[in-house]
Amino acid sequence: MSGVTGGDTEIPLGSMVPLTGPSAVDGAEFRKGVILASEEINRRGGILGRPLKPIFVDTGRQSAEEVVAAAARLIQDEGVHAIINGYNIGPQNSEYEVIADAGIIYIHHNTLLQHHDTVLSNPERYFGCFMANPAEYWYGQGFIKFLSWLRDTGQWAPDSNRIAIISGSKPYSIVIANAMASAAARFGWTVSFGPKILSTPRDDWCEVIVEAQASRPAVIANTHFYATDLASFQKQFVRSPSNSLVYLQYGAMHRAFLEIAQESAVGVIVSAVTGLLRDEAGESFSKRYFARFGQASTPQIGCQCYNAVHHYAIAASVAGGTGAPGEDGQNRNVARALLDVPFRSVAGMVRYHPQWQAAVPYPDQVHDPSLGMPHLFYQVQNQTNGLALIAPAPYNADKFMLPGWFSPR
Amino acid sequence: MGPRNAAAGLSNPVLEGLDSTTAGIAVWDADRRLIYANRAYLNTFDLRPGQVGELSYDAFVRQLAASNEIVLHSRDDWVAAQIADFGVERQLDHQMSDGRTLDTVYRASASGGMTVTLHDISSVKSSEFALTRAKEAAENSGESKSRFLRAANHDLRQPLATLRILIFNCLNETDEEHRKDLFHAMDVSVSIMEDLLSALLQIGQLDVGKIVARVTTFQLANIFERLSLQFSHQALEKGLKLRIASTRAAVVTDKALLERILTNLLANAIRYTAVGGVVVGCRTVGSSIRIEIWDSGRGIPEDQRDRIFEEFYQIPDGRRSKRPGLGLGLNIVHRLSDLLGHNVELRSRPGKGSVFAITVPLGDVWQSEAVEPEISETVGGEFVGTCVWLVEDDDILRNAMKELLERWGMRVNALASEAEVRTQLAETTDYPDLVIADFSLRGQVGTAIVQRIRQMIGKAVPAVIVTADAAPDVVAQIHAAGLPLLIKPVSPPRLRVMMHNLLFEPAALMNPHVESHS
Repeated sequence: MSGVTGGDTEIPLGSMVPLTGPSAVDGAEFRKGVILASEEINRRGGILGRPLKPIFVDTGRQSAEEVVAAAARLIQDEGVHAIINGYNIGPQNSEYEVIADAGIIYIHHNTLLQHHDTVLSNPERYFGCFMANPAEYWYGQGFIKFLSWLRDTGQWAPDSNRIAIISGSKPYSIVIANAMASAAARFGWTVSFGPKILSTPRDDWCEVIVEAQASRPAVIANTHFYATDLASFQKQFVRSPSNSLVYLQYGAMHRAFLEIAQESAVGVIVSAVTGLLRDEAGESFSKRYFARFGQASTPQIGCQCYNAVHHYAIAASVAGGTGAPGEDGQNRNVARALLDVPFRSVAGMVRYHPQWQAAVPYPDQVHDPSLGMPHLFYQVQNQTNGLALIAPAPYNADKFMLPGWFSPR
Repeated sequence: MGPRNAAAGLSNPVLEGLDSTTAGIAVWDADRRLIYANRAYLNTFDLRPGQVGELSYDAFVRQLAASNEIVLHSRDDWVAAQIADFGVERQLDHQMSDGRTLDTVYRASASGGMTVTLHDISSVKSSEFALTRAKEAAENSGESKSRFLRAANHDLRQPLATLRILIFNCLNETDEEHRKDLFHAMDVSVSIMEDLLSALLQIGQLDVGKIVARVTTFQLANIFERLSLQFSHQALEKGLKLRIASTRAAVVTDKALLERILTNLLANAIRYTAVGGVVVGCRTVGSSIRIEIWDSGRGIPEDQRDRIFEEFYQIPDGRRSKRPGLGLGLNIVHRLSDLLGHNVELRSRPGKGSVFAITVPLGDVWQSEAVEPEISETVGGEFVGTCVWLVEDDDILRNAMKELLERWGMRVNALASEAEVRTQLAETTDYPDLVIADFSLRGQVGTAIVQRIRQMIGKAVPAVIVTADAAPDVVAQIHAAGLPLLIKPVSPPRLRVMMHNLLFEPAALMNPHVESHS
């Protein structure tokens, strides 16, 4: 095998991943994504001849304390030049402080609107903090547009214009639920139930499902995101279903959801503001991912970190190399290159907004698919074959199907 | 001495002197033959020196006309006139194809010939033209200013009238909820006035051709909602039934300009309808949507239908003199729809009513604007709309914290003392969803203030104490009150986590503990 290996020239690359705790299934994929990208980059000669050395720290339940401690350890003990990972839901940007003090690059997929606020509050200090996917806010309004598109194109004739919204108690879920509720009226929808915020994790959803169904909604949206909790929700919904589309947040994309929910999952709508595309590049990545980590792995999740590591390597190469903690002059060059050099990843275009330092979404924010990361809408159409990609164009490969739990008219 | 000088009989120094002048000079003899031409003249008409002594005036004129170097409206007429006027004294400006203007003076000579001199006066002409343009622009500007003022007067009347009705209703309203609705409607009217002023500025710019349509895709319902808020009170006041249909259509046009068009049409419909009602509806026609405004007014006579779109035109009708418009509304509609390329149609039956319709292209819902393009936590954060009472006696800290919380979309009631808290408790029913209190408040402690608020509103509203004093006895006091604590200076992420837990995940705070700035 060609490429570079080991030695003093290695670039330590940190990654804060939940390898235990409720998000461990995602954490495992985040780790794989970093590993696969690093291996590919190293085979091609690393960053200007220096190989990447990934270093992982478990963030467990992803509390502020755990994540801040993980960042401090990676910087102080390992001297990482950058930290690249998936999401950590608990720290609410408190980890930015340690990272900003060290002046290194941080690329994450926290999918949080508050990233914008923190970066805008002091762009000079948070120059290195990037969110490689769009904020969760876009899930809310994007979903409302998706529903309207189904309705207006005649693919689905809703019984009413009513929507029931259920949210978990994490900020992520609440923001999405609020965004859905605020966008609904503009597109001809009425929120008939909620947003009802329930403490999560939880596996008992029976009561709230009955309450929501009492408002006879055409749609029930659950913005909580733990795969296992959502599987429980769906199983409980199909015991006594209503003629409502069911939208479940991100966790329902995970294989674990399908394994638990099984046939009850068929018909569910789920979306991702970062998702693996079904094109040639995406398929090729999936093959490599399965070959490296086995068929039980989930490239749809692992692609996020995979993309971010590749983008970082390109930007660092353009900038003339990486910077260790304290070398913020060089890291500012890398940050500038991340902004200046958009990257067509296996999840679509990563183009950072120059002020937010977050990926710009398509079609939620820009209308040109070459300028934004696609917000992809899937439907579970087959329990074994996974998710059908039904919107938006030009990425959609499948058609929407009326869920089997709808009673005939 | 060359051939061109043969007939002139001039010495070399004289010829050299004439060649050095920028004015063109030519002399034709009584036989209409060119006997002298200086360098400037030859160059101007692309003549060869060998033609001097040979070229006849008539041939020269024909040659010049055929060359297209001179701008002519009717070539044959010009040639005939030039030949006929040989020897006639005159002065003409010849416009050349390369943009130059030549001041040409024809003078008869004593021997029956003719001398012609040329001066390039292009720069003088260009200055003259610029001056004329500037004068016209100044005149247009004066005209558009006065037109703008009349339009401003006309269009601001609508929301002002609404505002007047709302204020009157508000004075007599005792129901708090209804009062709130009225205040909301007033707020909308004021924002409509603001929008109108800026739209009118655009209309002023229309006059000088400066308006450029900003075409986007958006939900038509957004405009309909604003029309409803703007006009429902006016219609009600007039005893008219106003119905605005619901629509799900996404349209592709300039949002502000379409709203101006519909506002004008609807205002006219209400103004000129005495009984019955006004309906705004729409129907899909192919890939477009036709927005229709129906009224049950007295209709527009056939012979007036073209003229009503003219500026300042009023249908002569004594009954309309009570509160006449200025005849600008439909002209604005006409000009804006022209600019946008939208077709406006009118159907009317005198005595029955009128229908104005505008056809707008349908858009793709995916491309529809849903929010402001620059999203922030003020628009979509998890704390949006949460009411927080912030009790802090340090002015600088209080203001900084207020600013931070407002940036996160919270409604902040910033209070400096226990006395202000008391006043608020007595005067408002907008109770807090969350309290953030300083521990040490000039003789009072934050824990007691939280206690007081909870007692008064009869609810264990979530609260957090902030303090710069982390002495063990202070911490113990706060813990004893069962309240969580943040140490100053408060880190925004820590505050965010604390507020989130207090509001949404209180189980995470079962054991209050010190959070410190790390």
